[in-house]
Amino acid sequence: MTDGIGARVARKEDKRFITGKGKYTDDIRMENQAYAAFVRSPHASAKVTGIDASAAEAMEGVIAVHTGPELKADGIGDIITGWAITSKDGNPMQCGVWNPMVTEFARYVGDAVAIVVAESQDLARRAAEKVSVSYDELPATVFADHALETDAHQVHENVPGNLIFNWEIGDEEKTDAAMSGAHHVTQIDITNNRLSPNAMEPRSAVAVYDEAEDHYTLYTTSQNPHVARLVLSAFYQVAPEHKLRVIAPDVGGGFGSKIYIYPEEIACLWASMKTGRSVKWTSDRSEAFMTDAHGRDHVTTAKMGFDADGKIVGFHVDTIANIGAYVSLFATATPTYLYGTLWSGTYDIPAIYGTVRAVHTNTVPVDAYRGAGRPEATYMIERMMETAAREMGMDPAELRRRNFVKEFPYQTQVLLQYDSGDYDALLDMAQDAANVSGFAARKAEAAGRGKLRGIGYSTFVEACGLAPSAAAGSLGAGVGLWESAEVRVNPVGTVEVLTGCHSHGQGHETTFAQLVADRFGLPIDSVSIVHGDTDKVQFGMGTYGSRSGPVGMSAVMKALDKVEIKAKQIAAHVLEASEVDIVIEGGEAKVAGTDKTMGWHEVGLAAYTAHNLPEGMEPGLKETSFFDPVNFSFPSGALICEVEVDPDTGVTEIVQFTAADDFGTIINPMIVEGQVHGGITQGIGQALHEGVVYDDSGQLLTGSYMDYQMPRAADVPSYTVSHGCTPSPNNPLGLKGCGEAGAIGAPPAVINAIIDAIGTDNLQMPATPQAVWTALQSAKMPMAAE
Amino acid sequence: MNNVKMTVNGKAVSRDVPDTTLLSEFLREDLRLTGTHVGCDTSQCGACVVHVDGRAVKSCTTLAASLDGADVTTIEGIANGGDLHPMQAAFNTHHGLQCGFCTPGMIMSGIDMVNRFQADGKDLTEEAIREELEGNICRCTGYHNIVKAIEDAAGTMADMAKAAE
Amino acid sequence: MDMTGEYRIAAPRDVVWHALNDEDVLRACIPGCTELERTSDTELSAIVVQKIGPVRAKFAGDVELTNINPPASYTIQGEGSGGVAGFAKGGADVTLAADGNETILSYVVNATVGGKLAQIGSRLIDSTARKLAAKFFDNFQAHLNENQPDKAG
Ligand code: FES
Ligand code: FES
Repeated sequence: MTDGIGARVARKEDKRFITGKGKYTDDIRMENQAYAAFVRSPHASAKVTGIDASAAEAMEGVIAVHTGPELKADGIGDIITGWAITSKDGNPMQCGVWNPMVTEFARYVGDAVAIVVAESQDLARRAAEKVSVSYDELPATVFADHALETDAHQVHENVPGNLIFNWEIGDEEKTDAAMSGAHHVTQIDITNNRLSPNAMEPRSAVAVYDEAEDHYTLYTTSQNPHVARLVLSAFYQVAPEHKLRVIAPDVGGGFGSKIYIYPEEIACLWASMKTGRSVKWTSDRSEAFMTDAHGRDHVTTAKMGFDADGKIVGFHVDTIANIGAYVSLFATATPTYLYGTLWSGTYDIPAIYGTVRAVHTNTVPVDAYRGAGRPEATYMIERMMETAAREMGMDPAELRRRNFVKEFPYQTQVLLQYDSGDYDALLDMAQDAANVSGFAARKAEAAGRGKLRGIGYSTFVEACGLAPSAAAGSLGAGVGLWESAEVRVNPVGTVEVLTGCHSHGQGHETTFAQLVADRFGLPIDSVSIVHGDTDKVQFGMGTYGSRSGPVGMSAVMKALDKVEIKAKQIAAHVLEASEVDIVIEGGEAKVAGTDKTMGWHEVGLAAYTAHNLPEGMEPGLKETSFFDPVNFSFPSGALICEVEVDPDTGVTEIVQFTAADDFGTIINPMIVEGQVHGGITQGIGQALHEGVVYDDSGQLLTGSYMDYQMPRAADVPSYTVSHGCTPSPNNPLGLKGCGEAGAIGAPPAVINAIIDAIGTDNLQMPATPQAVWTALQSAKMPMAAE
Repeated sequence: MNNVKMTVNGKAVSRDVPDTTLLSEFLREDLRLTGTHVGCDTSQCGACVVHVDGRAVKSCTTLAASLDGADVTTIEGIANGGDLHPMQAAFNTHHGLQCGFCTPGMIMSGIDMVNRFQADGKDLTEEAIREELEGNICRCTGYHNIVKAIEDAAGTMADMAKAAE
Repeated sequence: MDMTGEYRIAAPRDVVWHALNDEDVLRACIPGCTELERTSDTELSAIVVQKIGPVRAKFAGDVELTNINPPASYTIQGEGSGGVAGFAKGGADVTLAADGNETILSYVVNATVGGKLAQIGSRLIDSTARKLAAKFFDNFQAHLNENQPDKAG
C-alpha cells in the first residue's frame, strides 16, 4: 500500500500553502470588521495612576477605548494556570493574580493597559499612541537568581519573596549518602538561556459576537482550540461553552507559544460584544517579542557522584526557574513534571534528588517552548557527562555507555518508567554515520587551516504524550490528557477523520490520512482530516508535547478498529459469509479464499441505505473513540555535532551534525525527518545564537530580528538523520513522538563540541563569537595549579 | 492619496492609496492576495517577498505608491493554470514546508535566485543557496529540505529553459 | 548606559556657568530641542525630537536641576516620554573647574531608555548618546564663541 504506514507520502496540505491559498487567521476578514490595538506598559514595574483616552476617542474612526478595570467590572475572570504544584513543605503554590488587562500594576514591559478599537489597523495603532497613561515607576525584579534575594522587589503582593513554589523530587537522604560515598563528584553551574519561540506567523485573533444568538466565534492562532474554548468559558467567563466557537484555521507554527490563551484573545472577544463589531487583532513582531510566552530561563547547580569505574552513584540538582510576571498555562508543569522527572536521562542512576524554585520576575511569562523542561534536563545532564568525562580522563562516549539504561521497562528514581529503547544501538548508529573514527584526521586537517575542531555528544530520552490522565490529575494537572477521534465513512466510501489534535505544521492532513489508507487500502485522497474547529470536533486537547502521534493517532486507530468491525459485519451479512472470513484491503471487503468481494464504497452505501443490514444493527458507519494512554512514550536519541571554531574571532561553524533517533514506529519518514531537522535547528539556535536579553530595569533589549538572532540557512549544515526502532508498548501503533527531539538533544551536542574544540567548559549559551572568544582567552590564562 | 496602476499577476489593477501604504498591505488588504505574508516589522524575515519587474523585493518595505506602472508577481501568480511552477512542485516533493507561513517568500526568493544564477551562467551550489537565503527565515524546517527543493527546482528550470530554446 | 567625559571650553568658568543655566542657550544647543521653558527656578519643561536607530520620537519631558553649587557644579535630571516609542530618562553630574581663562567641564551621565526604544534601538543608545553629547558641546562652544566678541577679538 503506497500511502500506508511507513510511506514517504508527499503532503496533501501543501497545495494550498505553495499556491498562496493557505488560510491563516490574519487572512480572514469579516464583514463589519474593526481592528484592535493595545496600549502597553513601557515599564517593567509600575503603578498605573491614570489613563486619559480622550485624545484617542476624539479621533475620527476610533470606535472605543477600554481598560482593565472595565473588563474586570464586566466579570471577565483572571488568567489561570493549568497545573497546581505543591511545595516540598506541603504548601500549595502561590501565584500572582493575572488580570487580562492591567487593573492597577503593570508587571512587565508589554503588559496591556488598554484596548483601542478602530476602523482600520493603522488607525487603531495611531490612536493607541494617543492614549496617555501616567505611571508611578516601581523597582523591577528581572533575573531568576536575583528574585529570591531579600533586596528584590516583590512582584506580587501575595507572593512573599517572589517564590511561587519550592518543589522537590527524589530521595534526599539516599542521594546525600550516595554523594558522600562517591569516588568523584563533578559540579556544574549552568544557565539555560531565555528564548523567544518566534513562530513565523504572529499571533492573531478575530472575535465575532452575534447579538441575535448571543454567541461568540473566535478565530485564533491556537494549537489547541478546544482547550482555548474551555478556559475562555469556564475561567474567563467570556461565554458558556455552547455559546462560544473557537476556530484555529491554518496555524503558522507554534512551538508551544500558541498553546496558551492570551489576554488579547479575551479582550477582543469582550470588545466585540461591547462594540457590536467583529474585532481583529494581529500582533506585529515587536509585540510578539514582548508578549508571546518565552521559554526556558533556568539557573542550575548540579552535582553528580561517580564510583571508581565511572558509574554514576548519585545526582543532585538545584534549579531556579524564572516564571515571569504571571503564571502562564503550563508554566508550573514545565520546570517540574516535565523537567525533574527526566533527570535520570538515558542513565541508570540509583539516587537522585533535587529542588526547583519557581520565581516571579517583572518579565513576560515563561512557559513551555519546544521540548518544555526536557531540553533543560538534557542540557544539564549531557553537559554534566561531558565535564565529568573530562575531569575523570574518560572518553565521553564511553562514560555514557557505561551508564546507559540497558533493560526495559526501567523505573527511574524520579517517577517515570521508561517503556523501551536501545541507547547503545543509537549511539553506534550515530557514531558510524558521523564517522567518528575519522575525527582525529579531520581535527588535524582543520588545525592546518588554523581552526579548532571539536566533537560533541548528546544522548537523550524524553517523555511524550503526557499520560495517563488520572496520574496527571493526581500530580496537579487541571485537564485530562487523552485524545478523541471520530471516523466517519460517507455513503460513497470517502472517509473523514475528526481529531482533537491540531496541526500547526506537522502535516496531520497527510499522516492521519495514512492511517486510514493503511487500514482499508484506500487512496489517501479519499480521506480528509477535520480539525481545529470546536463546532466540528467534539473535544480534544490539541497538539503539543509530541502527543499527536502517540495519543491522537492512537485514538484514530481505536475508532478505526470499531469502524472495521462494523464494516466487516455489514460485508459478511451482504456477502453471506462469516465475519471472521472478511478481510478489508485494497479498497475492498473480501471473503478470504473466495472471489466474493464488495467495494469499500458499497459497504458505505449499504451502511447508509440500511436496506440490508444485520438484524438489530444501527444504520451508518461512524465511530468515536477516546484514547487515554497508560503511560508516556519515551523517544530517545544520540546526536553528534562537529564544529570548527576560529580562535581569532570566536566564530563557531557547525560542520557536521548527525542524529540517530528512536521514535518507535514511523508513519511518514519524510515528515519525521522534517521535524528532526527543524528541532535540531532550533536547538542550534539556542546553543549559538538566541537569547532574550532584559536589562536590569526590565527593559527588553532583544525586540526585533536585529537583536534576536534566529538561525538562518547559512548558519546550519545539512543534517544526517537516521532512525532505530523500539516500538512503544503503550499505544497500539508503537509510536513515540518526534516533534521535540531535535530541540531537546541538540544544544548540549553543540556546546560539548565547542568545549571539545576550545578545551574549556567555562561557557554558557548562547555561545556567541564573543562568548567563545572570551572563554578561549580565559583558557589561555596560565593555571596557577599547573 | 495616489492613484497607482500596476499589473499584478498579469492583471491590470488601479487603486487610490495613501502615500504610506506598503506593497504588502496593498496586496493583502486592497487586492486580498493574502498569500504574501508579513512576519516581521524590520524587513528581515522574507515572508513578504514578491517579484517586481522580475526581481525579488520585500513587499513590507516597498511603498505601493512608488510602484506605478510596475509589474508585480505574487505567490498566487506563478503557477501556469493548473500546472505548478517547478519551484512549487519541488517544495512539495522535498517537504520544503511545514507550517507554510514562510513558504511564499521562500518560493519567490528561490525562483529569483535560480533566475539570476542562470542568467549569469553561475552554478547554484548548496552553499550559494544558503547564502542567498540570507533574507528569509524559516522557523520550522531547519532549511535542509528547502535547500534540497531549490536545488532540484534549479535543475528543472534549467531543463525547461533549454527545452524552450 | 553610563558615560563620562571632559571638555575644555574656551571661556571663563562664570560665563560657562551662566550659559549652562540659561534656557535660551540650552534650547539652542541641545540637539533636536524645539521647546524649552523654565517652569520654576529649578525646573524646566522641554520638547526634544530625536531619532535613535529606526525609531524617531518626540519626547516631551521635565528637567530638574539639583545639587546646585554655583559656579562649580549641578545635577541635571530629566525624563521624557516619547509615546509608543517609549521613554528616555537620565541625568548628568556636571562639574566646572577653572583653568586660567578657560573652563574644564566634566560630566558623568547615566541614561536609560524604555519601551520600543529599548527593544529596537538599545544597541544604538551608546553611540547615539555619545554623538549627542559631542554635538551639544560643539554647539555650546560655538555659542560661547559667538557671544563673546571681546574674547574672540
Ligand atoms: S515581513 Fe517583510 S521581511 Fe519580514
Ligand atoms: S514552514 Fe513554518 S516558517 Fe517555514
